[in-house]
Amino acid sequence: MALAAVNGTVNLVGYGLSAIGPGIGVGLIFAAYVSGVARQPESRNLLQPIAILGFALAEALALFGLVLAFVIK
Amino acid sequence: MTGRSGQSDSDGPTDPTGGGAGRSDGSGRHEDAGAYAAYSVIGYLLAGLLFWGGVGFALDRWLGTNFLVLIGMLVGGAAAMYLIYVRYGKA
Amino acid sequence: MLSLVTLAAGPGFEAPDSGDFQFPDIAGGITKPMVLVVLSVVIVFGFFMLTGRRALVVPNRAQFAGESVYRFVRDGVAQDAIGPEFARFVPYLTALFSFVLVNNIFGIIPIIQFPSMSRIGFPAVLAIVSWLVFNYVGVKRKGLRAYLKQVVYPPGVPTWILPLIIPLEFIQTILTRPLTLGLRLFANMFAGHLMLLVFILGGEFMLLHGSGALPFLSPFAFLMGIAMTIFEALIQVLQAYIFVLLTALYIAGALADEH
Repeated sequence: MALAAVNGTVNLVGYGLSAIGPGIGVGLIFAAYVSGVARQPESRNLLQPIAILGFALAEALALFGLVLAFVIK
Repeated sequence: MTGRSGQSDSDGPTDPTGGGAGRSDGSGRHEDAGAYAAYSVIGYLLAGLLFWGGVGFALDRWLGTNFLVLIGMLVGGAAAMYLIYVRYGKA
Repeated sequence: MLSLVTLAAGPGFEAPDSGDFQFPDIAGGITKPMVLVVLSVVIVFGFFMLTGRRALVVPNRAQFAGESVYRFVRDGVAQDAIGPEFARFVPYLTALFSFVLVNNIFGIIPIIQFPSMSRIGFPAVLAIVSWLVFNYVGVKRKGLRAYLKQVVYPPGVPTWILPLIIPLEFIQTILTRPLTLGLRLFANMFAGHLMLLVFILGGEFMLLHGSGALPFLSPFAFLMGIAMTIFEALIQVLQAYIFVLLTALYIAGALADEH
């Protein structure tokens, strides 16, 4: 007797797993940014470009995963 | 409990130019430039991946290959990251 | 041991899906989300009318409540984001914020219990209106050609890379912005309502139709339902604020000058 049925493709599972890494990465980046600004508020304008760049790099992987989940059959 | 009635205006930032001097796009308003930048970053990445990935996909359909989609996405991702660097990465 | 928690007992639990967001006609093609949207307009209009009528210099409590909402949008959002010319946009931003907020809060009010922004049409229209506003402001300020040039051309880029980048910039500013604006609101409201449905309907199913130990586990489902309701309240207010904040930032970006 089947306990539960899961429908769909493995793409969804793959995307879900691939979203873990960027999620943690973005969290770490902004945790560092918030800590840095909290210690020294004047450094906000210095740290912001670095935080945005790091966020872009981490987020790119998440978006790659999202797009590939739809593209690959 | 007077709420915000005691403040007349939002506090200015520490630098006199309003925080927008270093940015190469129009938005330099102090605290919210971060939100603008963050959503713009996602917008650039999506636009890059989808547009050049779409071009690669169309070329794939036309030429019958199956790897141009990936190349298109990589090119689009690289272009998007370059744009993000130009707009938001330079201090 | 497995009979303690039997997952497929009886007629089975039907998980809520997007069909739960479609409602039957009440009368002549009018459905519940439409009624809710009209109700929200009446509420917002009535609130500002009643609290703003006979405005005194030293406000009484009702007037202070109305002014708090207005001042929140004007000071916290418009003035910070748009800068010197914010006054023109405050009516639109205040109306937008109140409208989205009331519609979102409908999701956790007991008898209503449906966030009308979880039907894609409503956030889509709001996103399109915001898009028209910020593009119109930019074109009117600078003229069509100069505005497009400012949108599309990032300074300090070598010329050979421009063909790669111009479609990207154009798509990001002109296409992706209204899409993400509307989709963000829609997806948050849809997912939140779906989560509430899962926990509460699941708890009800476990309590009334479950076999084995399920009825005794149902309080956990209801507890999660309560926790999710509180979380949903936060998300609803936050999404309304983010929608308005991003609209204001896009207007500011359209108005700004290049260095």
